Amino acid sequence: MNFAHLHLLLNHFPIIGTIVGLGLFLVSFLGKNDDLRRGSYIIFAAIALISIPTFLTGFGAQVMIKGPGVSDALIQRHEGSALLSLWFMEATGALALIGLWQSQRTSHLARWNVSAVLVFSLLTAALMARTGNTGGDIRHPEDRPGVAATTTDGSVTEGTLGSIVRAFEPTPEKFSEAVTFSKWWWTFMMILHFLGLIMIVGTVGLLDLRIMGFMKQLPIGPVHRFLPWAMAGLGVNIVTGLLAFIGLPDNYIYSGVFWLKMLSLLLLGLNAAVFYLTDIFAGVESLGAGEDAPMSAKLIAASSLFLWFAVITFGRYIQPLGDTLRPGAN
Amino acid sequence: MESARVAPDRWKSVSLSARIGGKRVGIQYCVESQKEIKLAVPEVFNTIEQTALSTWLRESTSVFGFYFILLFHTFGMALVVGASAVVDLRVLGIASALPLKPLKRLFAIMWVGLAINVTTGLFLLTAYPTKALTNPDFYVKLTFIGLAVFTMRRMNIQVFADTSLSEMAMIAKGKTMAAWSLVFWIGAVSAGRLLSETSKYILYGHLWGS
Repeated sequence: MNFAHLHLLLNHFPIIGTIVGLGLFLVSFLGKNDDLRRGSYIIFAAIALISIPTFLTGFGAQVMIKGPGVSDALIQRHEGSALLSLWFMEATGALALIGLWQSQRTSHLARWNVSAVLVFSLLTAALMARTGNTGGDIRHPEDRPGVAATTTDGSVTEGTLGSIVRAFEPTPEKFSEAVTFSKWWWTFMMILHFLGLIMIVGTVGLLDLRIMGFMKQLPIGPVHRFLPWAMAGLGVNIVTGLLAFIGLPDNYIYSGVFWLKMLSLLLLGLNAAVFYLTDIFAGVESLGAGEDAPMSAKLIAASSLFLWFAVITFGRYIQPLGDTLRPGAN
Repeated sequence: MESARVAPDRWKSVSLSARIGGKRVGIQYCVESQKEIKLAVPEVFNTIEQTALSTWLRESTSVFGFYFILLFHTFGMALVVGASAVVDLRVLGIASALPLKPLKRLFAIMWVGLAINVTTGLFLLTAYPTKALTNPDFYVKLTFIGLAVFTMRRMNIQVFADTSLSEMAMIAKGKTMAAWSLVFWIGAVSAGRLLSETSKYILYGHLWGS
């Protein structure tokens, strides 16, 4: 197993997942089926999470396959389209989560939210398709004559639609420069990353502790109302974390603990899915002061707390253990 | 601050770096007087840096060395600032269905977090006394922490310890404190993250990059 394999394994999820999510979402308009629409929202949120490691492993794969016979221009083109589709995927996932959160109280998805998710998911699906194509072109340029070809000087020629989209795709190097141009900007991002961490651990930690059986005077439903603050913290940290990675990818891709941090985040997503998509959440949300949560909920809460501290631990060690995976480092 | 004598071989590197960075950099500067150098950095920092503990903290490649202390400093921060932020946000009207009085228990978490950070902070200071204590930002950070802890204590005593207060009265009394608490903690975290970017010296007699 290496980054190239991992990337090839993961990259099917964002592309197929977006299409499946969009399909369900569009079908939900036919029968005005709210459950189906919620289902598509959950898929969008899940794919937004999985897209992150897909994108990150792409950088690792890039380092591995670099060499003769592989076009740098095609890799750069794929990286640009991946970056653009990633931001749109994250925005779609965020909008879906906001919609789901609001619908808890109003019991239906807000109209503005449905329109926004429609626009963003359509754009994301199109951009993801292009990301898949540009990625495929790296290894199989002969498969798609006319769609994209590298000329003798190494530049890429595009079709009409391709050249329009390309105008919006960031050049990876320019993007890196934009993130690392000043140490003060970098420090500012890191400050935000820490404040995001505090928001997550403060709010999620309190919820976890209460479910585990501490501070039982607190009713669980109202504690859960802090969740948007945790999600805002998570959003800030996904954005600042991705920017840091894009700015200095070499600091991260060779660090074993960085990948363990990403694995912990995926496990947290899985943990949250088990919590919200089974009846565990409904079971604890109605618990009032003094009431004990079932063992299943306590286990979920304990794993959440453990995994968040694992995220902090692995994150803290990226700096001293930044080279553990570099070939020839050990 | 007392001045200290530095061996000539150390002086060479100092004066060279000082010339690169300007004639007078920060509060440490070199004055040549009959092959004797006066530094405005107290000798005691040097003494601390020469101790076995300080050297081990800096130079050990064990994962239980410097970064282990730093990790627990981060855990402590998450506990004290995280718990404070939740109380502050609730007092400011977030999650208003949550009863306020039971949140008193969160102050225990805050004090534990603070104790962890005072302890780990002293270890970090032992590892790099010159680096921290010659950096004005370090005092900014300490000031923010002092103000935040003072506010935390006031909130604990005046708002949460007074059981006769109704929830309405608690909020009326605590609102300003809660807002300031958030400001002070954001200031403390920001100043903390800025430390490595603003320090002039890595060790006694060694400018950054020299």
